[in-house]
Amino acid sequence: MAMLGRRALVLLVACLSMFVIGACGGDDDDGATGGGGGKEGGSVTMAETSQPDYMDPALSYTVNGWEPLSTVYTGLIAYKRSEGQEGSELIPGLAEDLPKVSKGGTVYQLTLREGLKYSDGSPVKASDFEHTIQRVLNLESGGSAFFLGIKGAEDYVKKGNAEADIPGIESDDKAGTITITLNGPDGTFSNVLAMPFAALVPGDTPFKNMTKDPPPGVGQFKVTESVPNRQFVLEKNKFFPDIPDDPPAHLDKITALIVKNPQKQAQDVISGKLDYMQDPPPADIKPEVKAKYSDRYQELTTASTYYFFMNTRVPPFDDPKVREAVNWGIDKPGLARIFAGETTPGCSFLPPGMPGFDEDIDVKDCPFGDPNKPPDLEKARQMIKDAGVAGMDVTVWSNNDDPSDKVGEAYADMLSKMGFNAKPKILDGGVYFQTIGNQKTKAQTGFANWFQDFPHPKNFMFLVDGASIQPTNNQNYGNVDDPEITKGIAELNKEPKITPEVADKWKDLNDKLVERAWIAPYGHRKLATFFSERMDFDNCARFHPVWNNDYTSWCLK
Amino acid sequence: MGRFIVRRVLQMGFVMFAVSLLTFFIFNVIPNGDPAVRMAGRQPTETQIEAIRKEWGFNDNIFVQYFTMMKKVFTGDLVSYFTQLPVGDEIVKGLPRTLSLAIGAALLWMFVAICFGLYSAMRAGKFADRFLTIIALIGISMPVFWIGALMNYYLGYKAGLFPNGGYVEFSKDPIDWAYHLILPWTALAILFIGFYSRVLRSNVLDTINEDYVRTARAKGLTERQIMVRHVLRNSLIPIVTLWGLDFGAVVGGGAILTETVFDLQGVGQYAADAVGQLDVPPVLATTLFAAFFIVLLNAVVDIVYAYLDPRIRLQ
Amino acid sequence: MATEPATETTLQGPAAWEAEAEREHVHGLGPWKLGLRRLRRNKIALLFGFLFILLVAACIAAPLWADKVAKTTANANHLSDTITVDGKEKNVVGLDGVPVGPQWWKADGKFFLGADRNGRDIMVRLLYGGRNSLEIGVVAAVITTILSIILGLVAGYFRGPADVVIRALLDVMWSFPVIILGVALGVALALGGLKLGPIKLAGDSLAIPIFIIGLVYVPYMARPVRGQVLSLREKEFVEAARAQGAGPIRIMFTEVLPNLASTMIVFFTLLIANAILLEAALSFLGAGVQPPSPSWGTMIDEGVDRIATAPHLAVVPGVMLVLTVLSLNVFGDGVRDALDPRAKVRLER
Repeated sequence: MAMLGRRALVLLVACLSMFVIGACGGDDDDGATGGGGGKEGGSVTMAETSQPDYMDPALSYTVNGWEPLSTVYTGLIAYKRSEGQEGSELIPGLAEDLPKVSKGGTVYQLTLREGLKYSDGSPVKASDFEHTIQRVLNLESGGSAFFLGIKGAEDYVKKGNAEADIPGIESDDKAGTITITLNGPDGTFSNVLAMPFAALVPGDTPFKNMTKDPPPGVGQFKVTESVPNRQFVLEKNKFFPDIPDDPPAHLDKITALIVKNPQKQAQDVISGKLDYMQDPPPADIKPEVKAKYSDRYQELTTASTYYFFMNTRVPPFDDPKVREAVNWGIDKPGLARIFAGETTPGCSFLPPGMPGFDEDIDVKDCPFGDPNKPPDLEKARQMIKDAGVAGMDVTVWSNNDDPSDKVGEAYADMLSKMGFNAKPKILDGGVYFQTIGNQKTKAQTGFANWFQDFPHPKNFMFLVDGASIQPTNNQNYGNVDDPEITKGIAELNKEPKITPEVADKWKDLNDKLVERAWIAPYGHRKLATFFSERMDFDNCARFHPVWNNDYTSWCLK
Repeated sequence: MGRFIVRRVLQMGFVMFAVSLLTFFIFNVIPNGDPAVRMAGRQPTETQIEAIRKEWGFNDNIFVQYFTMMKKVFTGDLVSYFTQLPVGDEIVKGLPRTLSLAIGAALLWMFVAICFGLYSAMRAGKFADRFLTIIALIGISMPVFWIGALMNYYLGYKAGLFPNGGYVEFSKDPIDWAYHLILPWTALAILFIGFYSRVLRSNVLDTINEDYVRTARAKGLTERQIMVRHVLRNSLIPIVTLWGLDFGAVVGGGAILTETVFDLQGVGQYAADAVGQLDVPPVLATTLFAAFFIVLLNAVVDIVYAYLDPRIRLQ
Repeated sequence: MATEPATETTLQGPAAWEAEAEREHVHGLGPWKLGLRRLRRNKIALLFGFLFILLVAACIAAPLWADKVAKTTANANHLSDTITVDGKEKNVVGLDGVPVGPQWWKADGKFFLGADRNGRDIMVRLLYGGRNSLEIGVVAAVITTILSIILGLVAGYFRGPADVVIRALLDVMWSFPVIILGVALGVALALGGLKLGPIKLAGDSLAIPIFIIGLVYVPYMARPVRGQVLSLREKEFVEAARAQGAGPIRIMFTEVLPNLASTMIVFFTLLIANAILLEAALSFLGAGVQPPSPSWGTMIDEGVDRIATAPHLAVVPGVMLVLTVLSLNVFGDGVRDALDPRAKVRLER
């Protein structure tokens, strides 16, 4: 949509469809480390193309919301503030230790650190946690799904009474203990506790969208001003406690302006009027930036995968041979060009940075040919002919957020080259996913992508899990149902921790998924960091696998 | 006269009501995706969706929904489905920007159109006239977003002569405010200059041949006095009428494209963004806002005309 | 001022006047023939009219260009292809996503005007897009004209309650912000198509923008038509027809309608021009022609973001659109001058 401002929404929506990003692409160098060097203090101005969806931790579910909010709110569990794989490690946040998991993975016990204070000086209480979760459920947050596994949560939502108790959460303010009971074991729950949804806010925070007046939190910064669609301001929080591996910030103040025009943002970063722009510089200006300002610009591959879903319940994609043919025939480097070089061609479904990522199958050992080389169109054409579906009508679904529409058109053309009669159908970004997620639509194939919410393979694999197929709001758009994979996902999810053995098992599932051509992945998205001259790019520009650009690491030269 | 005004105002009310009904109808009868699902985010669950439906009243029948929404419009409680921000605030913030654009452009186009039109008429048939006519016609033939985008890039970004889009508040810096608006004013005005200069030209030519002008000339008035006192004044009346209507239309919708291209973040751009997402509350509010301007200016023009026409005034 | 120079008065009789008329070739021609004559003398209008026909012909010839010269279709992507220019290989779409600019004849006519971001041939899309834009423009203008005539006639001739209702309807349509209405309808209909009883339209059918644009312009034409009908109604020949016992339908068709003709003709050309511009605006906002079908509006939309690296994407369709609309406007202007006996000065040579 462009709509409108549509054009300026180009990169915004790219961001909106991402949730959290992981760094660690094999080819890109780590130009910046965390912490050290540079001076303390100072204030910085940045720009975003659009207002974060919400400035309320209970509601925000986008990258440009989580980037700032992850520095203002901390949960019981947090991530180590490091780059690369280390940054995916869970550490105790507001809790003293990582949770004690018992009763077959259904009970989580934590104890709050002593003496914690919110940014307004008020003390943090253990009962605040239940209130935080109540807000998420009561406000119908996009993140509710993650907490419905708590005992009594579903009833709480159904009853609709904000003040009602959630039986699955018990806390003792005097002892500082919190006990959470789940309906069943969930290996992702620790990661869920580290999401901003579960970051503690005071027990008297009202049950409404607090975007205009964000509640106090425990974070390196606090929000001192929030004018939706104009700007918000972060300032250093003097009450931030000492948490190992979660150091305080260097800067005193960050002013974030909403500037809808990405070209203007890029110009301003070049000239120094702005210090940082959240979106990558637009394709028009990128050549200039890469050429002249490479000393303050870097691109990093994120934990995301772009793929085409193929509906296994609808011809012609009910035939595995046809799905294989598509994987052989799509032009992966060609698609990368549509993204103006912002994707890394790859064949793995689990992305780089995710436990279970298979480096080999991604490029070197891709079962359908090198993703950096042109496709084997002849082979694809022959397979389609042999399957007897040449000439069949295929509708290719995509949405109008740039460049998804171009991708849809290109994919339709590729399918036509393979022998189908393919036509794209472009829907508005806002209705796209619910339309293809409705079984009645019988969408044959189309555009899909996913950015990790947290570094746990289940977060990706649920998209191809037979158990997550639904009649509406289905996220397993291809209705992938491989009994071996479905069983594997269910079992592995019971594991409370991802040990190297567990990671290998996830890798195995990933490989089977790719080899059996259940989906057609073609690459992983790259994101960028672009600083002005006065920011210390070499020492103070941490790119965190979960939080993206880490504001707490920034400092001036 | 009084009765006439009352009638016009009632008519205004009726039109606004019809517009609101029509907008609501379009969005609710034509299939456009379930807003509850959209609001539920990326991993919607049935419980969540039902809760949203209950809270926002999507399960109520359509008339109840209409009345609730209209009530919210008047009490200022209207909230966007997707950003959860109050619509009224956004419109109030965008209003000075849209008005700055519209009024500035309108004044610019009138001034230039009068000059061009008059000059064209006085040199009627000669090269200057034909040249200006072609220029005017080119102006009418250009899509405003195209010429706006090109001007913004080549004059703004490349040549650096003008700022590359954006808006500066008048209260902050009036000179910068005007500086940022020069390109948008020009882009929007180009279209209308073309049209109005030609209308003025033809009106002037008509008037010149009227009897009373010949009489004035016979009486010994200079050409200049004739031009200004008689010709111009009489040629301007129909122009001013059209101007009123077009200005209403610009605020009502023409400004959308210009605001989008130059990133002025006025009401028009807000409307464009909301419509693309089928976000009903802002669309309803901005449509009513736009319609209001059009209807208001229509009524004002009618009333002024009626005032000038003694037949109606004396009723 | 250009009034006819007064002929010398002589004391000669009718024969002399006849001879004079002969000399001046004014044989009491009807208004149409007179109009045509005046139009023929308007060289500039004719020039632009010819330009318009040329542009239309080029668009009609789109398949010829696509097959014989460009050797591709409007929707075929050439993302990873290369072309040979001056012996060197050039990427149709660079690795950084920048498409190649106008090649003119350097690659045997392929990518004559360059490529777009999907590697499609812009010249081919321009011509096919022109077909879509022109089709929308003309058919929408026809719809507007027909609806305006019906509404204007009924309101102006019958007056009374019909007039009140129609005027109210026109008021509402007139007050509805055009762009918002167009985009709302366009977006909503693109999603699911339109199902009105037996009529079923797919979301990407051209009929949808045609219908929207045709509807939007009705008040602009219906009002003047109604005004004209109001005054024509009182004329003597209508009185006479009524006295002769002709029914209202007959009068409308045989007496009133023909007199509206010149207004309609002038309006029609201007309607086409405006419809093409509105289509471009709607497509720019994503509510007009749906991908992958090209139209000048969608092409401008795709180009506006890339003016820095690929200006041809926006400039080419824009110039084509301006030329087409301009030629319609100049020609329409000439037609108006020719048919309007009160026009004082014309663009004559």
